[in-house]
Amino acid sequence: MEIAVLSGKGGTGKTTLATNLAFVQKKCILIDTDVEEPNSHIFLKPKELNRKVITTEYPNVDKSKCVLCGDCGDFCRYNAILPAKNKVLVFKEMCHDCGGCKLVCKHDAIHYEKQEIGSMYFGETAYGFNIKYGDLKVGAVSGVKIIETLKSSLVKEDLIFIDSPPGTSCSTVAAVKDADYAVIVSEPTPFGVSDMKMVVEMLRNMNILFGVVINKAGLGDNEIYEYCEEENIRILGEIPFEKRFARAYANGEILSNVFDEYRNYMQNILNKISN
Amino acid sequence: MNTKEIVVISGKGGTGKTSLMASLVPFFEDAVIADCDVDAPDLKILFEGENIEEKEFIGLKRAFINQDECSRCGLCKDHCKFKAINDELEVEMESCEGCGVCEYICPNNAIQMNDSVVGKVNVSNTKYGKLIHGRLIPGEETSGKLVAQVRKKAKEIAKNENLKYILIDGSPGIGCNVISSMTGVDKAIIVIEPTLSGLHDLEKIYNLTQKFDIPVSVVLNKSDLSVNGNKGIKDYCNNYDLNIDLEVPFNPNMVKAIVNKEIPSIYDPLFFDEIKFGRFIENLKNL
Repeated sequence: MEIAVLSGKGGTGKTTLATNLAFVQKKCILIDTDVEEPNSHIFLKPKELNRKVITTEYPNVDKSKCVLCGDCGDFCRYNAILPAKNKVLVFKEMCHDCGGCKLVCKHDAIHYEKQEIGSMYFGETAYGFNIKYGDLKVGAVSGVKIIETLKSSLVKEDLIFIDSPPGTSCSTVAAVKDADYAVIVSEPTPFGVSDMKMVVEMLRNMNILFGVVINKAGLGDNEIYEYCEEENIRILGEIPFEKRFARAYANGEILSNVFDEYRNYMQNILNKISN
Repeated sequence: MNTKEIVVISGKGGTGKTSLMASLVPFFEDAVIADCDVDAPDLKILFEGENIEEKEFIGLKRAFINQDECSRCGLCKDHCKFKAINDELEVEMESCEGCGVCEYICPNNAIQMNDSVVGKVNVSNTKYGKLIHGRLIPGEETSGKLVAQVRKKAKEIAKNENLKYILIDGSPGIGCNVISSMTGVDKAIIVIEPTLSGLHDLEKIYNLTQKFDIPVSVVLNKSDLSVNGNKGIKDYCNNYDLNIDLEVPFNPNMVKAIVNKEIPSIYDPLFFDEIKFGRFIENLKNL
């Protein structure tokens, strides 16, 4: 079963929840798809990691064959290849790796070269289950390919927790695609509610069942509870805002490992999900 | 008029970008505000105003297969690098990246690339100036392009109205939307928190700003959350010759302000005095 943990708003507690649920569940795997800024491994402390480099391709133009006809530039939708006066300019970061420029080139002047966009890591955590995460190289524009690679190599084991990126754009879609269930982590503030609404819209479009965990409860107001009631959204649990939790989190601790109540919060959420 | 652009970014989410940006606005008299966190634009919650312009944003095109003309040859599926055409030879919209290869390769002219509205750009008149905000339809791509559109609109307004500053609220992460929000700016304010996650993420976002040669100002938010965390951030900043230009201890009034839909620096001016917010702003203005 694949459970995605997402939020819309950043910093509501996705990684905290995903890592703690996995820690309490034990027999599972955690996939960190927040490849732009992955953090799960900080808490789960994998001992040894296998690394796989992820690449995309970009066009390289053979000057001896290129006649500067401009067909490649006309075709490209991403401004990644631009024939200029004397040569063809390639902006490899813009390239979406669609293969179109090579197809349209009548002079066989284009071939593709690889560029590294990041890596995938796999290993056993300090707590007896496995972690897999991606890390996007600084300067690369999109981590979607890494996220897709992370998810494609999944074996439907007992339980898969997906720590997703913030926001609601293509990276988050790639992370939660085909999940059996989604847990929205939000906070009881106007920004939390506003961003949650966008995630709810996205999940409904994708036909993914979901519930919400209200983190840092007590910090703000009741708007989020009213919203959940209006929309008939299931509240899976509430975790109170406590400075001691925040402090332990700041130091990279698994809260369920330090505080019994936190462990109980997690167990209750897991029970609610399995119903 | 040489308009200065200042962006607020973070790497890690939830460090307080929007709260900080909102707190800055009242002190920049002639500014246009741009909310470039197009996945989750929140500034409008604190800066209500009359909507004076709304434009649809067309991202990439998307492929449409006319099933009547389709000969079921499957060439489109074979060539699609994004696995956006399924076994039934239908386009899966969320995977289509609009490259046009299928349209090119189809021997029957059965495929067309159509405009896809993926979001919108709004201009509002607020008490503190014009607010440009973009919103991406949840699940869509091309957030980098929409961010560029929001910035373009902001620049246009700044030029027409002779405004000194463009204040840009960025998004978390380091991807195309963040890159698009910071290219060419005069200053990037990185808001961080004193946590291990925060430190890890600071490294990446700082590296990104250096790749684009952007001058940086660091703000340490919730600074008294953790002694170890605080030290970790300060050690990193020392190693890279970075100053922490503003340190903001955790203050429940910051959240209270947001809950009341008020600007934090207006809600609790004494606190902002204590943290020497005025000096931080003066330094920002001396770009």
